[in-house]
Amino acid sequence: MATVDEPTRRDIEAFVYLEARLADESRYDEWEALVTDDMHYWVPFGPGDYEPGTRVSYINDNRARLGTRIRQLATGVHHAQDPPSSMRRVVSNIEILSAEGDEFEIGSNFVLYEHAVQATGHLRLWAGRATHRLRRTPDGLRMAAKKVELVNSTSPLPNLPFII
Amino acid sequence: MALTVQSSAAEHDYRHLVQDDRIHGSLYTDPAVFADEMQRIFTDGWVFVGHQSEIPEIGDWVSRRLGTEPVLMVRNRDGAISVVANRCAHRGTTLCPQNDGNNRNFRCAYHGWTYDLDGTLLGVPGPKGFHKDTADLGLDRPGQVDDYRGFVFANRSGTAGPLSDHLGAGGTDLIDRTSDMSPSGSVRLSAGWIGQRIDSNWKMWPESDHDGYHLNFTHASMARAVPDTYYDEIVMTGEEASESATRAYDGGHLELDFRRSYTAELAWLGTTREKVADYCEALEGSYGAEKAKTIMWDGPPHALVFPNLFLAEMNIARIEPISPGVTVHHHTPLLVEGTDESVNRRLVLQSEAAMGPASFFLTDDAVIAERMHRAFEGAAAGDDGWVDLSRGIEREHIEDGQRWSDITDETTNRGFWHHYRDVMACVVGSRPNSHA
Repeated sequence: MATVDEPTRRDIEAFVYLEARLADESRYDEWEALVTDDMHYWVPFGPGDYEPGTRVSYINDNRARLGTRIRQLATGVHHAQDPPSSMRRVVSNIEILSAEGDEFEIGSNFVLYEHAVQATGHLRLWAGRATHRLRRTPDGLRMAAKKVELVNSTSPLPNLPFII
Repeated sequence: MALTVQSSAAEHDYRHLVQDDRIHGSLYTDPAVFADEMQRIFTDGWVFVGHQSEIPEIGDWVSRRLGTEPVLMVRNRDGAISVVANRCAHRGTTLCPQNDGNNRNFRCAYHGWTYDLDGTLLGVPGPKGFHKDTADLGLDRPGQVDDYRGFVFANRSGTAGPLSDHLGAGGTDLIDRTSDMSPSGSVRLSAGWIGQRIDSNWKMWPESDHDGYHLNFTHASMARAVPDTYYDEIVMTGEEASESATRAYDGGHLELDFRRSYTAELAWLGTTREKVADYCEALEGSYGAEKAKTIMWDGPPHALVFPNLFLAEMNIARIEPISPGVTVHHHTPLLVEGTDESVNRRLVLQSEAAMGPASFFLTDDAVIAERMHRAFEGAAAGDDGWVDLSRGIEREHIEDGQRWSDITDETTNRGFWHHYRDVMACVVGSRPNSHA
């Protein structure tokens, strides 16, 4: 656990909440503007304690593939998110796990309610732990990595085409 | 208006529900049809279980289902493969609730009955209270288990005849072409399985996975987001331009055959020889220059081995029925052996893009299947609610025991359903013809 000054802590928490809200509201361009050029977006199978690519993950996006993901969502004909799911997530238990120079590793828990309006109309519940790696840049905090460990990732999952 | 009352006791007329050019939507949603399928297809017939490479060490096991029957595929002490019920023979408790593991034996958590890896009952606490012979109280086992090139199949009833008859020339060739992608001649399924849960009937997956007609529409978002995928040249061209073919083999096995459309070697891997030189040299070393060249140009098949094995190019998928309205589509990258691991890293990345609940392709297929399923939830056998499968029926050809046509034709879908009709009406298979 790392200690940072209060203004930095407030900036970090505000970033994590903004990132969550932009994802909830499917504001893809604004969400993408938060990431660095070396962004890694990872949703592992089971605990994220393995090297991505050595076994199969739900999502293992480098910056280029994340760009493809967002372009696909923005086409307007991605049926899996046409229309986009209505979503709200609650983010809590925010902890600053490390602070080294301009980089911070942030742990948090989330509960996400998704109304899967595309076909079934089911209310789907997603829960897990997010680990953000944030970097201070001249433009403010940016996200260099996001890892999402779902509590039920070892069981079959329904469609996960949105940004989690 | 007459109401049709359906009960599980009613015998369905599958020859009426599956016609040459259309099928009835109640086949997706009727619980009595699902019950018939679990018996006639998943109990009386051969079902894909897994691959030997998943359980390399003695005591390794993976949890699977034969239809809705939970089983374990286990590596025995003698190195052979067993398939046993994942259910204690005493009171029926699930023995292994996890996805996979390694055990010296299987001990039930309820009363401590202990089984050897092959399902033999080794011991029970308080044996004096039993008068039965414990040899009769082993785990339930399918009547037949066999493999072809490491692909393990089981037939619960034991009456389906040899696996080689089930695979036939078509299924054998498809598994050969898949296995030959590995320089060692044997693929390795060790990168883990991911399951995608879909609220649709299982039969929409053999259909969707082998439908060459939907790509321009269902997957329009990928064509726009990445305009240069290899699917462009093989299926996203005009009706007459594609050289690809759709094939239906005897036994319900299906293929979308892209081989004639590839315009470069390794197009199916989205790369060039320089990037995977070790792999190409290993293929040449194993198979000789000529066959290696064919493998590098043709790539892996995109095919169904009836009823539940999807040879998904460089992935293997299992189609698992849960209930009439719920299916799990499991996949794992098809890894190769006999070369360096760099090509396998590439295959894992390719798998993550194509398959699974967060992928660029199957997410859209899932929503389409869920919409289809919803549309037939009220379907009862009658004049409404038919599915048209006539596309290309006038222009398909029969050649060498297989039916083939233009890539966008529904030859694959008809091939699946016509075999399904034969099995469900007991024209083929092990059950007496009394259901017909």
